[in-house]
Amino acid sequence: MTAALSTLRPRPRTLIHPGRFNPVRIQSLHSANGRHVRLALMPGTSLFDGLVTPLAELGIRNASTTILGGYFQQLHYCVAPPDPTGKAVIAYTKPIDAGSAFMIFGNATIGTDMKGKPLVHCHAALRCQDGRVKGGHILTDTCLVGPDPIHVLVTSLEGFELRQAFDPETNIPLLQPYQEPFYD
Amino acid sequence: MTEPVTVEVGTMGRVAYARIAPNEDLVQGVEKLCLAHGFRNAFVRGALGSLVDACLGTRDGKFIQIKGPAVEIVSLAGEVRSDVDGSITASLSGVVADTNGDVYGGPFVAGSNTVCMTFEVTIEEWLPSEKSIAA
Repeated sequence: MTAALSTLRPRPRTLIHPGRFNPVRIQSLHSANGRHVRLALMPGTSLFDGLVTPLAELGIRNASTTILGGYFQQLHYCVAPPDPTGKAVIAYTKPIDAGSAFMIFGNATIGTDMKGKPLVHCHAALRCQDGRVKGGHILTDTCLVGPDPIHVLVTSLEGFELRQAFDPETNIPLLQPYQEPFYD
Repeated sequence: MTEPVTVEVGTMGRVAYARIAPNEDLVQGVEKLCLAHGFRNAFVRGALGSLVDACLGTRDGKFIQIKGPAVEIVSLAGEVRSDVDGSITASLSGVVADTNGDVYGGPFVAGSNTVCMTFEVTIEEWLPSEKSIAA
């Protein structure tokens, strides 16, 4: 049991990470406005391709998205328990097969990975094929959209970019905002 | 904006994205993001990340603590509002998943939800019309 009810507010824990503390705690950028797009993830496509390909055609490579509910043919996710190797505070588990699952609600951030390729970071709540309701980190390249389109609200990030970069403090690569363009 | 407004008309303004670092508080982190960019009212447009432990409030003033690390934020909705006393308040609610993938939901308690690895959030500025403010 990982949940407990109490009348006293729990004292938050401060975890020690393996790397040097970065004095900048909120890395942020803003733009004058964002474009909004209603996107349909088409049946049979992967969640990754369904998000990245049509948005790239619109010139959107950086975005925050809300995935509305819908069925997937197959859906894989993972969770984040403590890292037994100690290299980081936590490490993702192996993929967990949720079967033909219903995604209840998801959020995905679209940016660029360390090789300059599109990257999608997605977390979602889902109802697994066996009926259990679960949540976690979604493996977007192996999730295939089910028989009906799934709609997504996209808010584009204009004038700055999200790029995956190694974060010394946590000792893992993370998406971070950058002002300068990666693309010409 | 202490008086309740049933219908508030306005427009969306600027869009900000933040990566909030470990051990910062989720709710106050979103408030500080607004301070950093001068947003006085905003809606959360997308958010995901992880918490050390999650703390959700109940109707009778109790606290549900979900032990991590890490507890994944799998759904989040909320807004930030400015008040006449010169403060801004983020009200965030959502669904979290523990290290078994089991889910819990409710309002996030300010000051008790520290970020584990990273928290990514996109907020969109909300600009109420003068008419709504006057009402």
